[in-house]
Amino acid sequence: MEFLTPKKLILKVVTCLLLLLVVMAACSLVGTQKISLAKALSRGDRPPGQNIDYEILLIRFRRVVLAAIVGAALACSGVVLQAILRNPLADPYILGISSGAGLGAIVAVLSGMGGRLWGGSTISVFAFGGALFTVWLVWFIGHVASRGQVTSLLLAGVVVNAFFSALIMFLTSVARSDQLRTTVHWLMGNITEKDPMVLRVSAVCILGGIAALFTISRRLNALTFGEEEAQALGVNTSVTRLVAFGFAAFITAVAVSLSGLIGFVGLIVPHAVRLVVGPDHRQLLPLSALIGAAFLVLADTIARIIVAPAQLPAGVITAIAGGPFFLILLAKYTRKVALLK
Amino acid sequence: MNIIQVENLSFSYTRQPILQNLTFAVPGGVFLAIAGPNGAGKTTLLSLLCGLLKPKAGSVTIDAANVNSYSVKRLAQKIALVRQEFVPVFDFTVAEVVAMARTPYSNILSFETQADMRIIADALEVTDTAKFARRTLRELSGGERQRVFIARALAQDTPILLLDEPTSFLDFRHQIAVYDLLKNMQQEKDKTIVTVTHDINLAAQYCDQTLLLAGDNAYYTGRTQAILSCRNIEEVFGVKTVALDVGQHTFFFPLGKRAAAREIGGANMNPAGY
Repeated sequence: MEFLTPKKLILKVVTCLLLLLVVMAACSLVGTQKISLAKALSRGDRPPGQNIDYEILLIRFRRVVLAAIVGAALACSGVVLQAILRNPLADPYILGISSGAGLGAIVAVLSGMGGRLWGGSTISVFAFGGALFTVWLVWFIGHVASRGQVTSLLLAGVVVNAFFSALIMFLTSVARSDQLRTTVHWLMGNITEKDPMVLRVSAVCILGGIAALFTISRRLNALTFGEEEAQALGVNTSVTRLVAFGFAAFITAVAVSLSGLIGFVGLIVPHAVRLVVGPDHRQLLPLSALIGAAFLVLADTIARIIVAPAQLPAGVITAIAGGPFFLILLAKYTRKVALLK
Repeated sequence: MNIIQVENLSFSYTRQPILQNLTFAVPGGVFLAIAGPNGAGKTTLLSLLCGLLKPKAGSVTIDAANVNSYSVKRLAQKIALVRQEFVPVFDFTVAEVVAMARTPYSNILSFETQADMRIIADALEVTDTAKFARRTLRELSGGERQRVFIARALAQDTPILLLDEPTSFLDFRHQIAVYDLLKNMQQEKDKTIVTVTHDINLAAQYCDQTLLLAGDNAYYTGRTQAILSCRNIEEVFGVKTVALDVGQHTFFFPLGKRAAAREIGGANMNPAGY
């Protein structure tokens, strides 16, 4: 019999981490502007700011890091929501985060509060607030309706999503064309260069959230069997669900405020990783984080260079690349399982 | 020493009471059957016994402490629950499912220890599920899945085992296999076993005590031989039966309206209870 041991887990995590680092390094070097790694790293012989290669590498690297933390957050959040909702079709946005964040963003754009607020752009701050507010609303409605039953949470999410989407459509229809462009671009999911401080704070928030979720991963296993089963297995379901829901919503809100609505990562990466390593959350969660990070770094790099000098929103690439890739994986693994029998 | 003590237990989902003033006790190491017609509250009672539902009145005492005073984790070290089998959403392997039984003994995150693995392997062995330990639950038959859930309950290593109709979808061979296994667990490991069942005749063969819930808040409880009689069965289920003695056990056969009207067989087959 094979059981997951810390040694096996560490081995897998290290392998995926190396993969992620290779992808990040490669993607930092790729771009419209050719740079030389040797030149970029020999910074001692020039005054600061003079080494163009180094500056470009740094800018690209920051963007790669941003894509990585957003990808990790979305993938982890997808894993956790699929577990607590016991629904493989759940994604980070299912409980209203997308429409809430979208509404926040469009309000920020329409109110004309450009510029910066607390170190981030106004859109980010409003989107973050909108996302957290919606999550709280969905949780609240779900609990008032029937003490947080999974179905009532899902229903509350769908209803709130629909209502906020209607509000977004209303606001878009009254927006000026320049405001419209900003909003639509944001809604499509877009990774751009961010202030290093914002990047650092976000990275700490997201990594902290992932670490917190990792601590409940064994209990998430039991929770996928249903509330009563989990309780009979000694899992305090209300606490576990609150932790899972809270941290998943938080890291998603941070990710969304950084990058807008990037779809598919949170749905596809958990599935893909689960197909390969199985559903044990103790490995599913960290491995999804790493693969999600690598996936979004790749997608954003493609978005950056494919129509250069223009740039596509990363969300477009994740959607276009994610679907077929997932189908291939599904077909391949289903066949393999069938052959083993 | 009664390991389960139920006193004046009442419960209702709506205004209509499901259980009212139910009092019974289960001594340690006893095999108890809960029988009764559909809707009599058998499964509800099981949920009350393991703390998933809170009583409206009265109390359930497990090992000298109120069931609701236990933490979820401590209670899961006392009581294991086997519900009717189902296919889980995600494709866990049989070994992984059985390994979940060790959750109440784990701290935050923690992996299965050597001791855990031995207990898991034992549970797989005695339930005859080791041979498909690496398959997923989706790939098993209903009967095999039911045995996996029983293996999980055994690996939970609790003094009390609660089961909800463990043989409902099983053929004769597997019905007998499950009850033989439970009887072994009772006799070798001194487990207290409470099972909800529709099968009066399996209860008659294997269970020391029977709780017969009538559905109108009446109930009979006591030694199985004393409780299972044609009279009690007719009162509770509204169905006439004939009884047949085989060895030291009495078996019951329900009679359809036409058979009952003709009163066939009843006279010369020793109708116990009449």
